[in-house]
Amino acid sequence: MTVIPNPLALIAEITHRCPLHCVYCSNPIELASIKQELATEDWVRVFNEAAQMGMLHLHLTGGEPLARPDLKTLVGAAHGAGLYANLITSGIGLSEGLLESLVSSGLDHIQLSFQDANEQNANWIAGAKSHARKIALAEGIRRFKVAFTVNLVVHRQNLDQIEEMISFIEQMKPDRMEIAHTQYYGWALKNRDSLLPTREQVDRCTEAVGKAQERLAGRIRIDCVVPDYYARYPKACMGGWGRRLMLVDPMGKVLPCHAAAVIPGMWFDNVREHSLEWIWSESSAFRKFRGEEWMPEPCRSCDRRKEDFGGCRCQAFLLTGNASATDPVCQLSPDHDLIERALHRTDPNTTEIHWEYRQNPK
Amino acid sequence: MTPPGDSSQPRLAAGCRWGTNPNEPAVLFPEGMIRLEGTGQKILELCDGQRTFAEIISALTARYMLADQKRIREDVSKFLEELNSKRIIDY
Repeated sequence: MTVIPNPLALIAEITHRCPLHCVYCSNPIELASIKQELATEDWVRVFNEAAQMGMLHLHLTGGEPLARPDLKTLVGAAHGAGLYANLITSGIGLSEGLLESLVSSGLDHIQLSFQDANEQNANWIAGAKSHARKIALAEGIRRFKVAFTVNLVVHRQNLDQIEEMISFIEQMKPDRMEIAHTQYYGWALKNRDSLLPTREQVDRCTEAVGKAQERLAGRIRIDCVVPDYYARYPKACMGGWGRRLMLVDPMGKVLPCHAAAVIPGMWFDNVREHSLEWIWSESSAFRKFRGEEWMPEPCRSCDRRKEDFGGCRCQAFLLTGNASATDPVCQLSPDHDLIERALHRTDPNTTEIHWEYRQNPK
Repeated sequence: MTPPGDSSQPRLAAGCRWGTNPNEPAVLFPEGMIRLEGTGQKILELCDGQRTFAEIISALTARYMLADQKRIREDVSKFLEELNSKRIIDY
């Protein structure tokens, strides 16, 4: 029997409700409704189980976690269990009073998302008038004793303004800045043709980020990873399937990643019926692509398999129809032409865009 | 980027804190954690926002009964500068 090391972090998608409708949302297309959501006491139990398994970080996300009226209780429970509590938020619904009570309940880190530096563009991507309210909130965050990250998702429609966006974020004085290239799952995949950047945009972004990293060293840490469609090899998605992370969705289903529900034939066990520890070691979903037995060639004999674990299973399924295929972003994949063809369609002169905005759960 | 000066008072940056398991000393920060033992642990324990960098160097020199203060100063400075660039330590 092989001993599976315990996971490091828990991602808690506490609700799928959200006031924003971002065109690149990573939530599944099938969203959980409020009636299906776990109760406060279920989450509290899950957080305690996570801490007992040795998990260190808890990422509270959604949807918009602030849509849950019990968020303060959940943060307090996470802190009480010894977890490092991170809130991933659009900021909509967060007043300074609420932030103060979350921080006093033990919130360690807040990650605030922006869609653009320009208000009109930001609201166009979010499908909601949210930009001005986010700015108002950001101005007050530094008064609280909490780590502060600003996250900006980039894509073809905003990458030409990368320098302006970096300066815009810099003014908020966060500890960290995350320039996140769009990843093509869920809603983003539906809108891929209008979101995929050009090679020139990606190169210019990398250069601008490099300069900013040098200039802001010691003040703001900037993270930015080359988008996998433009990389030579796949990303080690989630640090490998069932190796480091567990995600609990609003209904209590436990997944190895945000998107795993797209893979047909999978069964996800629920925290209402099983402990996290049991699910980690026994559930069929976590065992499915753990290790190397499932791997096809060219992964099976590739030296990189211990670094990238064959790439992303969900992306493999979404693009090839086979979840056990090599991630097609890998240049060694027999399906790599799917990526080449998608990139070929990135025509920067397209003028008419018809977004498919993220819906809210019914 | 600037190294800490003698009068700097190094401290854990906002939102960075010690883990709660006393058997595994570690500092937690937004994107991960560092497990600490030996000197690294001792240095960070001294970074309480009260002691100055110069006082930290003296304390370490005394604790480890080391003569080469210049070398300690260089090593600790480099260590703190590295953590500063990761936004784990402020000074």
